[in-house]
Amino acid sequence: MSTRRRPRTAELGTALDAVHDGATIAVGGLWFHNAPSAAVRELVRRGAADLTLFGAPPSSFTTDLLVGAGAVRRALIPHVSFEHLGLAPNVRRAVERGELELVECDEATLLGGLMATLEGLPEHPVTSLKGTDHLRSSPLAVPATTSEGLPIVAPPALTADVALLHAQEADEFGNVRHLGAPFCDPVLAKAARTVVVTVDRLVSNDDIRSSPGATTLPAYLVDAVVPLEGGAHPCSSHGLYPHDEEHLRSYLALAGEGALDRYLERWVTGPRDHADYLAAIGGPERLAALEAVA
Amino acid sequence: MSAARCSARELMAVLLARELRDGEVGMTGASSEVPVAACLLAQQTHAPSLTLILPSGIVNPRPGRLYRSASDGRWVRGAEAIGSAYDLFELSENGRLDFMFYGGVQIDRHGNINLTRTGPADGPPAFRGPGLANISFAVVCRRILLYSAAHTRRTFVERVDYLTAPGHLEGGDSRRRAGIATPGPELCVTPLATLDFDGEGVMRVRSVHPGVEERDVRSRTAFDLGGADEPWPVTPAPTQDELAVLREVVDPTGVLADTPRAAPADRRPTQELRT
Repeated sequence: MSTRRRPRTAELGTALDAVHDGATIAVGGLWFHNAPSAAVRELVRRGAADLTLFGAPPSSFTTDLLVGAGAVRRALIPHVSFEHLGLAPNVRRAVERGELELVECDEATLLGGLMATLEGLPEHPVTSLKGTDHLRSSPLAVPATTSEGLPIVAPPALTADVALLHAQEADEFGNVRHLGAPFCDPVLAKAARTVVVTVDRLVSNDDIRSSPGATTLPAYLVDAVVPLEGGAHPCSSHGLYPHDEEHLRSYLALAGEGALDRYLERWVTGPRDHADYLAAIGGPERLAALEAVA
Repeated sequence: MSAARCSARELMAVLLARELRDGEVGMTGASSEVPVAACLLAQQTHAPSLTLILPSGIVNPRPGRLYRSASDGRWVRGAEAIGSAYDLFELSENGRLDFMFYGGVQIDRHGNINLTRTGPADGPPAFRGPGLANISFAVVCRRILLYSAAHTRRTFVERVDYLTAPGHLEGGDSRRRAGIATPGPELCVTPLATLDFDGEGVMRVRSVHPGVEERDVRSRTAFDLGGADEPWPVTPAPTQDELAVLREVVDPTGVLADTPRAAPADRRPTQELRT
């Protein structure tokens, strides 16, 4: 019998073995913030295919990259954009060509489905979806009736095989700390069978214990912690570095003109791994410089 | 207080700020520098007890400047609380919000919003929009404030191709018949005019902005705005005081201006946000 606590740190490649072709994955963060970009790049590198994808109600770079690389068959994403930088070019193109099944949903229906999983129930009725065309077009808007006989919708339970999240800090046992907004990540973790979290840096268990109120995912929810400095880039990692607007603009320019292959070669399939990617963007110095250029 | 020159986005921020009331709790959405600035301006002027919640769950940010991304991590520093997606779910399901802002790829004469798709209802869309994270706030908020940075015939349409978020639906009592208890959109601020709704839920012009010709508003709207019998009132221009607070306190770097201003001296590293 071991007398030592089992560490949950893992190599990215090993952790992502949990994502088999055809899996349902939940990708964390919101818009281009706190996104597990390095994990998503590794999925593209290894040719992940036929995925069903969901995540926080607002999504951005990671969704567009996975869709552009042809890894996604079906997505349950209420909103995907690059905010003030523009629309998501690959998602837009794939939907307009009929190549991606983009399931209409919104925060209430998506969160309803996740809440059902968290509660161990087959569905979770929500009262707030009325008057929208989603009522006829969304498979999550399953008609139901309240005990008073009023019509509502009851989104079915939504579960992921794997949640891919990015946070700023964790200890080796998997206690995770977000330094900014954890947003949907704790819910996604609880709705997934396997939880993989990339973090910019490891901290000691003593550090975690010095402020337990700051722990956003206790270790019992986490299967693998992957320390990857800059793992969110070109998205932000709240509290450590902002998003790389110049990089995102170059992504949008290439993807917008149908030249995603050039982006993938330079930034995704070209670099062997995340260390290689980090060196290619200019290392930790690039991350540090982002505050000044934003 | 005399009228002063300002950008279209500064004008819209000032006009939206005037609509906000002290003590209200409100939320902003994606790409919403203008509504966020309106809330921060209102807090600095007539509504110090207004609560602003960003779509990332951040409550009452006070960043000392505007950031263009609604969920930028730099809104965290100095904020009062950080909520989660579950908190937003609770806000919508329990109808806790007083106001919410919406823009649209299409906005129709009944104030319905399309952010999803254009073209025929079946098959792939002609244009795929960004989609909308939160429809439910359009159902449960006591006040819906619409705004659009574009006032064109493509945006202001007779009827949305896809109804993402409910405005006054088909007008009349159709919103109530759909089971929605809240009154629906109150107004819509554009770079040309402030529009509101008549008793039947039909959009009309409340006032045209200074320097804007009535015929331009009509020609850039794809539905009949009515009110041809008398001239529309002119929107009271932003005052020097409103613009001074907007530019000096809310938006010192000029995110809403036509040309950016120099960054403020206070650029502490974001790491300090960890306490």
